[in-house]
Amino acid sequence: MHGSTLVGLFLLALAIPGLASNPPPDAAVDPSAEIKTLAPKVVVKSGRLEWEAHKRDLTPWVTLSHEDRRPTPKPRRVDLNGQLNGDAERGRTIAMSTLKGGCVNCHTLPGEDWPGSVGHLLMSYRKRGNSDAHVYQQIFDPRVFNPNTVMPAFGTFGLLNDQEIRDLVAYLQSLN
Amino acid sequence: MRTALLLACALTAVAASAEESVYRELDYPIDNYLPKVEGDMALSGTYPLWKDRTKLDWRMAGNPEENWRLNWKFMDPPFNGAVHGGHFALDRGEDLYKALNRDGRFAACLGAGKGKLRGLRTRYPSYNKELKRVVGLEEMIERCAARQDQVLQNGSYDNSAVSLYMASHSQGLPIRIDVSKGPMKEAFERGRILYHTKAGRLNFACSSCHTHNVGQLVRGTHITTPYGDAAHFPVYRTKYMLQSLQLRIAECNLDSGVQPLRPGSAAYTDIEVFLTALTNGYPVSVPSERD
Ligand code: HEC
Ligand code: HEC
Repeated sequence: MHGSTLVGLFLLALAIPGLASNPPPDAAVDPSAEIKTLAPKVVVKSGRLEWEAHKRDLTPWVTLSHEDRRPTPKPRRVDLNGQLNGDAERGRTIAMSTLKGGCVNCHTLPGEDWPGSVGHLLMSYRKRGNSDAHVYQQIFDPRVFNPNTVMPAFGTFGLLNDQEIRDLVAYLQSLN
Repeated sequence: MRTALLLACALTAVAASAEESVYRELDYPIDNYLPKVEGDMALSGTYPLWKDRTKLDWRMAGNPEENWRLNWKFMDPPFNGAVHGGHFALDRGEDLYKALNRDGRFAACLGAGKGKLRGLRTRYPSYNKELKRVVGLEEMIERCAARQDQVLQNGSYDNSAVSLYMASHSQGLPIRIDVSKGPMKEAFERGRILYHTKAGRLNFACSSCHTHNVGQLVRGTHITTPYGDAAHFPVYRTKYMLQSLQLRIAECNLDSGVQPLRPGSAAYTDIEVFLTALTNGYPVSVPSERD
């Protein structure tokens, strides 16, 4: 794509509010609601499919629709600036919470009975000897190390902010 | 080793008349599929364990580490002989169907040759000459009912109940859709790509779980093979009551952080074609129950 076209598209997006992040027409959404994402609700003995608000708005990210023209955010390399300044205890909470990091959905971490097994064991992570900057990048956007990873890019996709990632790094580096 | 590749789909941009490409990532490898249930031998290799549903190894079903290898087939009646919500739905579907088909128009609209329902389910999704595209059975049920001013929305309980009644006439017959040529092949190919397209806040593809992590745990649930799944839908579930295959796709979308689409959308129909082809040769088994 040419730079000038990019600028043009960007200006157009500014001119028409919401265009840049509008979900495609076949998405199950309620455009006027605060949480736009709808979940289907099957009602017994009814010919109508009901919908209810989902627990989280998923409209900012790309869908599987053929009409979805929004690009997937590209892999992003980041630097860890200054002191780590992370709080391991807060990091633990983020790692365990499904609504935040949800790391435990894929990784085994101490003190969780129903971990996932998609990612590596992170039980004694400190022994791995990785730098804080490396771990920060792995959480911010692991595609930089492995373009075909299944691990989400928590920073690039806006799922966790800088401080939250610092807390996670501190937590992992505290696991002896 | 999975290689990194980018998918450049040619799409016409809103602002420019020139073709623009939208950046997407695929979950590789993407091409190790056969459009028949035996294709599982190259994926999870569990097919021999659930091929014959009357010969399941019940010791495996009792073992949480092992039961995923049975592809949850042990949850399908007749293994669980008890009456469940699927049976009530089937009765409901029969009543609705009979009311709609008094003059035979409804069956004809669905494509039942001489009104015969046997085998109908095994041929869907299929190409519709009038609409000039591939359609799923539930979409046709909605359309054909609308011709008689009846609202049977795709994904609704009553629509799925009629679909279930249709399927019951093909009980035990193998799924048989031909994706070797024409629009069905194109839909299969689009479905295969979509199945591997990363989307949503977590950048997951269907294949991230169902192909590349079969047997692994996601929050306490083992992921099973995508082969052989399409034959038991619509399925009775406690949470969803009656769930069509496209609503299952919507559920997996929601669970993996992807904004779902409406049932009947072109993309979901393509994925349905892909998944149904992966069930070719496996017998229709309804009414079934899943937790
Ligand atoms: C969907 C699954 C998934 C989720 C969720 C996930 N990871 Fe991962 N993670 C992986 C996989 C798979 C790997 C292996 C490396 C790869 O494939 O890129 C990995 C690798 C890692 C590594 C590098 C391990 C090493 O050997 O050095 C760290 C650190 C890590 N993850 C931390 C996290 C944290 C922290 C979170 C939550 C904020 C998280 N992961 C969430 C799947 C996941
Ligand atoms: C984060 C993981 C994950 C992702 C991504 C995912 N699924 Fe699933 N899916 C599951 C789990 C777990 C189950 C329940 C266990 C099983 O049946 O495999 C399931 C079940 C299913 C079933 C029902 C199988 C049966 O036998 O009843 C279908 C069909 C299905 N998924 C299709 C899809 C499709 C299509 C996509 C992509 C749009 C998708 N899934 C994405 C985890 C996932």
